[in-house]
Amino acid sequence: MLGRLSVIASLCVGTVAVTASRAPVLQLSYLLYVASESEDEVTLLRFTPGEGLTIEKVIAVGVFPAEIEAPHGIFVDPDGSRWYLTLGHGFPFGSLWMYATGSDTVVSRMDLGLFPSTVAVPPVGGLAFAVNSNFHGDLEPSTISIVDLETMIEIERLETCVMPHGSRFSPDGTKHYSTCMMDDELIELDVATLDIARRLDLSPQTPAGNGGLGSVCSPTWAMPAASGDYVYVACNRSDELLEVRLDDWSIARRWPAPTAPYNIAVTPDDERLVVTQKGSGAVTVWNRATAERIAFIPSSRKVTHGVVVTPDSRYAFVSVEGIGGEPGAVDVIDLQTLRQVATVDVGKQAGGIAFWKTEG
Amino acid sequence: MRLRTSWLALGLLAAFTSSLAAQTTARVELTSPTPTIAVGDRVQLTARVFDANGNVLDVAVRFFSSSRREFPISRDGLLQPTRGGEYVAYVRVNTARNVRDSIAFSVDFPPVRNVVITPTSERFFVGASVRHEATVYDETDFLRRDVPVTWSTDDPGIASVDRYGELTAHRAGIAILTATAEGVRQSHRYTVIPNPIRTLTLSMSQDSARTGDVLHATAIALDAGGQRVSDAPVSFSLIAHPEDTVVAQFPPAEIDQQGRFVAQKAGDYTILAIAPGHVARYTVQIANRLVTQEVQFIGQGPVRDVPTSDLWIWEGVDGRDYAVTGTWGANGVAYFWDVTDPSSPELIDSVVVDARTVNDVKISEDGRVAVISREGASNRRNGIVILDVTNPRDVQIHSTFDDELTGGVHNVFIYDNHVYAVNNGRRFDVINIEDPTNPHRVGRFELDTPGHAIHDVWVVDGIAYTSNWGDGVVLIDVGNGIMGGSPSNPIKITSYADFGGATHAAFPYESPTGKFYVFMGDERGRPGFDGQEGNVPPLMGGYIHIVDFTDPMNPEEVARYEVPEAGSHNLWIEDDKLYAAYYNGGMRVVDISGELKGNLMYQNREIARYLAYDPEGYVPNAPFTWGPQPYKGNLFFAEHNSGLWAVKLQPRRVLTP
Repeated sequence: MLGRLSVIASLCVGTVAVTASRAPVLQLSYLLYVASESEDEVTLLRFTPGEGLTIEKVIAVGVFPAEIEAPHGIFVDPDGSRWYLTLGHGFPFGSLWMYATGSDTVVSRMDLGLFPSTVAVPPVGGLAFAVNSNFHGDLEPSTISIVDLETMIEIERLETCVMPHGSRFSPDGTKHYSTCMMDDELIELDVATLDIARRLDLSPQTPAGNGGLGSVCSPTWAMPAASGDYVYVACNRSDELLEVRLDDWSIARRWPAPTAPYNIAVTPDDERLVVTQKGSGAVTVWNRATAERIAFIPSSRKVTHGVVVTPDSRYAFVSVEGIGGEPGAVDVIDLQTLRQVATVDVGKQAGGIAFWKTEG
Repeated sequence: MRLRTSWLALGLLAAFTSSLAAQTTARVELTSPTPTIAVGDRVQLTARVFDANGNVLDVAVRFFSSSRREFPISRDGLLQPTRGGEYVAYVRVNTARNVRDSIAFSVDFPPVRNVVITPTSERFFVGASVRHEATVYDETDFLRRDVPVTWSTDDPGIASVDRYGELTAHRAGIAILTATAEGVRQSHRYTVIPNPIRTLTLSMSQDSARTGDVLHATAIALDAGGQRVSDAPVSFSLIAHPEDTVVAQFPPAEIDQQGRFVAQKAGDYTILAIAPGHVARYTVQIANRLVTQEVQFIGQGPVRDVPTSDLWIWEGVDGRDYAVTGTWGANGVAYFWDVTDPSSPELIDSVVVDARTVNDVKISEDGRVAVISREGASNRRNGIVILDVTNPRDVQIHSTFDDELTGGVHNVFIYDNHVYAVNNGRRFDVINIEDPTNPHRVGRFELDTPGHAIHDVWVVDGIAYTSNWGDGVVLIDVGNGIMGGSPSNPIKITSYADFGGATHAAFPYESPTGKFYVFMGDERGRPGFDGQEGNVPPLMGGYIHIVDFTDPMNPEEVARYEVPEAGSHNLWIEDDKLYAAYYNGGMRVVDISGELKGNLMYQNREIARYLAYDPEGYVPNAPFTWGPQPYKGNLFFAEHNSGLWAVKLQPRRVLTP
């Protein structure tokens, strides 16, 4: 990736040199999308270090101007040409939308299950895995929709557990990870066969499902390490972070976190975990090797939601929902100084957040 | 049933892959042992994966179909179509970029099994012409609209039939009418008899009427003995002489084959009753329906910083008049107003809850309890909030209720100490609030149709009228007694789904005519809405369907109120007037007196329209009318962009020359 960026940067410098008498210093900037669930809009943002975080564009989404359709999950295709969005509410089913990056126009759409939330695309592209969380229905097993993105056909609807959430791939794209908020499980899917490969009980000293007593861990997110050897899980209810070792499919470590950890990002250099603390209204940063907390950074508003990290591991972008009529927000955290360096208001209940590209 | 397979397939389906696959897989090739396939066949598709050098790889593949129900393909490639048509079979390698292949199939339908001819009778009159329909089913009982049907008679000298199934009898005898589809024949034997009709008379229920009035035509055929010919085939038609003869207008009147006539334009209309050998005429005179009234602005309770949702007006326990309005996509606030002087609504209190939308607000019959709905709670536990509005100037929260009601309550209704709460767009829950500080669920109702949803609920006389998008309106006994239902045991009575499938709100009305109508309002985004940027009002579509439920088990959609430039939202009916909020089309008042038929929009039934422009509105000068409520001679309505409004219909002015 770094090599490719260098080439792009060189080309840009060359172009500027031809057209200007004095080559300006090219400023690195990062572009990202964030979905605002209670505003039915997606915001395209640009962060330029030293200059701040600005709104490039606000994209209204959905088809019913008089109903909230709840854009929740968002993911940019690894080739950068498309972004994918789940709308949680429908009549009754939610939907998956494909947009072209740049023009931000709709390319295609299709129906999913009940309240689809997180969506992700593997590194090789071509498929979307969207979890049908069914947040508010009866507590019955729900599914993961697997969609072929060229045809926008759902090729598999795989039943996993009650209230699945989170959707992320291993770095090599061969495995997919999601959690079961009400069953306290981590689910590993085999991408080649689209079968459930393994299930892991995440609740401490209780059987899966907790004997009907309700979830203990209530895992909301599973994020593989860049090295592909571990998956990190946020136990939203028990206020814990879990490290799952993949070679023997066991919980290697579990350690306490502030209130209600929700989403996790692993820095691409694999050194840190960046965790949104939904109940604390904050972000925590952890040393991945030692599980030592190295920062607790209050968010600009309450109800911290999603997080993505730039490919250079330098910045984390964090979505913050806010409460009631408050706008949502996106905060930028400098992972070197461990400080919030920028924030901008976006539509209400900012949630899904996706990194698009680096420019400059 | 045939099984076609290829030995090549099975060895390639091993579930093996590695990250190497992504790097080396170059293409996949899908093959079928046969280019043709029929319903009921079993065909094993096969796939081979190659690297860039053409070497076959041992990589897992995934088969899938363009249509899972009609053209199902198992994950390992076994194809078993259940319905004919054009489909595509695909195969892909999940771990490689854009490695897929496909084959288009044209699946033959199964043979036609039977043909059903309607209508039929034993005898047919010389000179009569009756159109017949042929319904075709194949061997899977699938209704086949694609199969051409040919018509014939055994003796065209007795009776002939045209290509559309219209049979005309020429002389007495036995006539065999036959419909043929794919070689499958169905015949019906008619005894053609001399036409017994000697006289045909036509009467109309009125000689003169107004546009929009429904007149009934009655045709009576008598034989030579003066006896009524009960099975005389009579059809109706009309000749129009409208006052307005502008070219390319919409049809000025219509009459159906039950003899129900309605005119949209003033003029003279000659109704024709046509029976074999006879035509009877009757001319009626239709005048313009003069019902328009002026509207006077009375007052506004402005809400300009956030969008407004629904409203409710009521008489408080102190005898004063009050209103509550909700807010949408905002900060979870409900506003309370004193509207005793509707020219000056006074904001007297507000309640803020953890929500972003308070979509619905309702008041109990005794004016003491309010229920407001919550959506967008920060902890995703939405539900309802029950308020004490005994003193609307000091509203207190009795309780909240979100048990199994977390998914957002969009609409509620209070009836007889129970709250009917639309839950997560899937069902309604019934919550007892006899003690409003201790609400508890006593029942729930959910449809069992595939992909069902619910948007609204309204309760009158122990019947809940639910609006269910594609499932239309459903009537449920929650205490009426007709089906033995109760709040704890709601029982479905009947339902009606219109063609459009966008039922959003419904309102029942017992007309003084004896007809029982349910008005079903659509909600549709207007085609072309693509998320315009900036603070501009969106456009809406859809209309109000008017369904005759007089015979509840056989509802009939008889009329509509469709505003071409706007879409329907909430509605209210009182004293033969429909009050319809029509989003961009503003507030509409429509005369629904008498029997209803056709499109009320074009029958001069519109009494008034009012577009509430507020230059300081949330979106300035953008009427987006949400919901109405007539109350004590005034008409209150909620405007999405500008709050609470009150207007008054003025007495109709009769201009005397």
